[in-house]
Amino acid sequence: MPLARSLSMTSLNGLLQCEDEDLPVEDLLLFEISWEVTNKVGGIYTVIQTKAKTTADEWGENYFLIGPYFEQNVKTQVEFTEPPNPAVKKAMDTMKSQGCQVFFGRWLIEGSPYVLLFDIGSAAWNLDKWKGEFWEVSNIGIPFHDREANDAVIFGSLTAWFLKELSCQFDDKPNIIAHFHEWQAGVGLILSRSQKLPVATIFTTHATLLGRYLCAANIDFYNNLDQFDIDKEAGERQIYHRYCMERASVHCAHVFTTVSQITATEAEHMLKKSPDVVTPNGLNIKKFSAMHEFQNLHSMYKARIQEFIRGHFYGHLDFDLDKTLFFFIAGRYEFSNKGADMFLEALSRLNFLLRVHKADVTVIVFFIMPAKTNNFNVETLKGQAVRKQLWDTAQSVKEKFGRKLYNALLKGEIPDLNKILDRDDISIMKRAIFSTQRHSLPPVTTHNMIDDSNDPILNTIRRIGLFNNRTDRVKVILHPEFLSSTSPLLPLDYEEFVRGCHLGVFPSYYEPWGYTPAECTVMGIPSVTTNLSGFGCFMQEHVADPEAYGIYIVDRRFRSPDESCNQLTQFLYGFCQQNRRQRIIQRNRTERLSDLLDWKYLGRYYMHARHLALSRTFPDKFEMEPSAPPKTEGFRFPRPSSVPPSPSVSQHSSPHHSEAEDEDEDERYDEDEEAERDRQNIKSPFSLGALPQGKKKQHGEYRN
Amino acid sequence: MAGAPPAAPRGFLGAGRPPAATDAPLLAPPLYKGRPQRGPDRGRCVSRTDLRSGTMADQSFVTLATNDSYVKGALVLGSSLQQYRTTRKLTALITPQVSDLMRRVLEKVFDEVILVNVLDSGDSAHLALMKRPELGVTLTKLHCWELTQFSKCVFMDADTMVLSNIDELFEREELSAAPDPGWPDCFNSGVFVYRPSIETYSQLLQFATEKGSFDGADQGLLNTFFSSWATTDMSKHLPFIYNLSSTSVYSYLPAFKAFGANTKVVHFLGSTKPWNYTYDSRTKSIKGNMDDPKIVHPEFLNMWWDTYIADVLPLLEQHGIVKEITPGVNMAEVTEAVSHVSVSPLLPTESSEERKERWEQGQADYMGVDSFDNIKKKLDTYLQ
Repeated sequence: MPLARSLSMTSLNGLLQCEDEDLPVEDLLLFEISWEVTNKVGGIYTVIQTKAKTTADEWGENYFLIGPYFEQNVKTQVEFTEPPNPAVKKAMDTMKSQGCQVFFGRWLIEGSPYVLLFDIGSAAWNLDKWKGEFWEVSNIGIPFHDREANDAVIFGSLTAWFLKELSCQFDDKPNIIAHFHEWQAGVGLILSRSQKLPVATIFTTHATLLGRYLCAANIDFYNNLDQFDIDKEAGERQIYHRYCMERASVHCAHVFTTVSQITATEAEHMLKKSPDVVTPNGLNIKKFSAMHEFQNLHSMYKARIQEFIRGHFYGHLDFDLDKTLFFFIAGRYEFSNKGADMFLEALSRLNFLLRVHKADVTVIVFFIMPAKTNNFNVETLKGQAVRKQLWDTAQSVKEKFGRKLYNALLKGEIPDLNKILDRDDISIMKRAIFSTQRHSLPPVTTHNMIDDSNDPILNTIRRIGLFNNRTDRVKVILHPEFLSSTSPLLPLDYEEFVRGCHLGVFPSYYEPWGYTPAECTVMGIPSVTTNLSGFGCFMQEHVADPEAYGIYIVDRRFRSPDESCNQLTQFLYGFCQQNRRQRIIQRNRTERLSDLLDWKYLGRYYMHARHLALSRTFPDKFEMEPSAPPKTEGFRFPRPSSVPPSPSVSQHSSPHHSEAEDEDEDERYDEDEEAERDRQNIKSPFSLGALPQGKKKQHGEYRN
Repeated sequence: MAGAPPAAPRGFLGAGRPPAATDAPLLAPPLYKGRPQRGPDRGRCVSRTDLRSGTMADQSFVTLATNDSYVKGALVLGSSLQQYRTTRKLTALITPQVSDLMRRVLEKVFDEVILVNVLDSGDSAHLALMKRPELGVTLTKLHCWELTQFSKCVFMDADTMVLSNIDELFEREELSAAPDPGWPDCFNSGVFVYRPSIETYSQLLQFATEKGSFDGADQGLLNTFFSSWATTDMSKHLPFIYNLSSTSVYSYLPAFKAFGANTKVVHFLGSTKPWNYTYDSRTKSIKGNMDDPKIVHPEFLNMWWDTYIADVLPLLEQHGIVKEITPGVNMAEVTEAVSHVSVSPLLPTESSEERKERWEQGQADYMGVDSFDNIKKKLDTYLQ
């Protein structure tokens, strides 16, 4: 196999050291402003909350988050303290003296960062004045009826006011960096800029307003990116003012960032500006002390899922559970945005392939997408009851059998195996088997759906005919409710369930970042994603052979839907052809990628953005090579030295490879060696372009 | 995978994105997929000629809509006239800013929908506009004198609605109108009786070119032109109930209590028009600022919205302009989703304050002065 096992570490190490990325944080103050600080509305909360520890570690007492004050949030999440920084305190006092309620404390999450919270309601009496001021500087007006946008004006005006009160106390240092997330915070940025405050500003969009609206309207988005008349589209959707707030924030920011390459492309067309830096989202990775603990967890939770399957498919258990793979898709019920349409079609094709090739694997697919239901359906509950009954029967027979055996052994005899089960036992067992007979097929959904006849997943299943027939090699279970460890059916929480599965499938059409596949990765579960998801783009860029690491990336951008669907089918089929050992190896590799998704590493992109903002705002103090645009190239996970475990189409002409071949591959796989290699790669700093060069020289200058 | 390409067991794409040509995946499929096409028009709107046998064919009510929002007002006005079984024709003048879809809806309610484009006309109106650009809308309104197919007309603003049959107005002479609540020696030009005549039209135009209008709008012009109204013929003074300003409810409440029940025409004066409010169809009430007198006395507003929901919304739905209605949504917002409110650059330039107000009513001129390019220019004044 002519694969590049000779790939050496040194060839990858043409990377720049990143220690000079460090900023003189003691002479700086960092503010991160978001509507979702201590206030969970959507995904930004997760981003900010998980990132807090890394940033707090770096910035210590000089890091502050700014958000809105809501009593119910604060009660459980914040511990009030006095601001340690006298300037912050003074600025707060000035605002308080003019009738605004400002709160300060520690956010009780990992890293316990300082938070500064503005009570929007207490400042609402200024709304007209502030809207007028905002109109004067931006010529953007806010409709009366849009409460959220009006709140954004209040929040932004308070933020800008605070920054003004703060910055006017400083002469030369500390310098202030203000990092604004999403359009709700953007007014603060625009106002700070219009008042020419000495503040370095960063603006991050996690998705564009207009992109989200267009995709939600089922428009063929990516093929027409450059053809939208965006003012008109926003105007027609009644979000023109919000869109203007977002776009004006982008235009005013010293540094503009998005969370992924795909959102960068989206921003280029929906906001007419390419981001200066892409700042991917990370996770807080908890490391197990024991090596491969995640593998043990996988088999443990897989056994729990198998138990459920035994009940669900009672009477139809003619397939080998040890050769059964569990796939799943999970998330909000957005049939086409999340790619459930394509997934179902691919499953239909996979079913066909597995049957034609007489494969002995069975695939069971879970759809975990909450919809409106009237609780569990009877057939599903009955399945679990039947399983329980068989289990009890087996236990009681075993008990009797065990006693007889014990007695025989005590007598020094080998029991007569023909007599050890008497007629009673046989009839009990026959009766039990009789009760497992079933005239219906195992149900496709576990719940009574309220809108059964219009449910897009069920209707597609009806159309493609995946009804869990005996001959089907692909079986489908729709679980239209979030998982819970107290469920009588499948008593697992989401994390445990994911760990027990073999593959997560997320062929999304619109996915600015994509935490679901990222979560799979850190749990060591391979996943399918697309090049329209931020996560997919990120992996494509950082891993030379993502498939070998259990990240399958479907091309939904440059291929027709039919081709993408074929590609997805091939991924699934290829995955089914792996043997157990290959899957274990693949999971090990997948799990190793989790370092890549750790904020400890991804936080660097944020650092870079801050540095860039400083150099643009205070060019005399913070220099940076102006020319080089930051690139993320240069750092890549290499191809694994051994042959990728996935027998992907290009490498095998026959679906069944011989034992000898397997042996061959096994020999090449040395877990420890490979892991060490990958680990060293991860430790290599990210290349952020030529920026840090020449900066080292300037280092002393910060500390003048 | 083993060579054989998977023969797709079933067709895909029933629910997915439109298939791009396999060999040219970037070939753009149609931009919008499956915007619902409505079937042929059905519903409450009965053909008008069936409804009224004795149409006085040479007399008409006339209104004017300068954008899609005002079309909604015009539709409510037209529906209310129909509801009280007028025997006269209904005519709507529209400007090019009205979208085609909305125009088609208008044609369902009005007998005639006439496009008036001052800029294209190349006649004396255009000339007048060049000299007095601030009179844009006013000059458009004057076009109503050109409707010489009618012997007599009643002009009604699109922000009025009738509460009873008012066909008796056609017994009056030119120029009959009701006093303006703000200055009762002037008439309010929201409702007036007139005789179409090219001669009068040209005189008005000439007058406008030479003298202008003291309030910059049609009311000032018409009051100067028909200056004898205040002093000569009492029969040309329409009773106030033919043009009751909705603001009079609170400015003279006792009078309203005594006579309000007789109201025949209500006129929604002021910058916030009925379609700018948020109407909750569950509670059948207007949501809004409690300082707004119209909200405190919402009777008329509710009548407007009742007519809108009962008679106009179904038409808009039939034309695919409004998707199905969920209770509690801002109807105005939904309807607005397809209207392009754009003001021709030659129309009178607004003050900054007026522009801000338009934004606040959710009617930014995003294809014109309020485009992001202009916002960007504004921002760039302080970015370096």
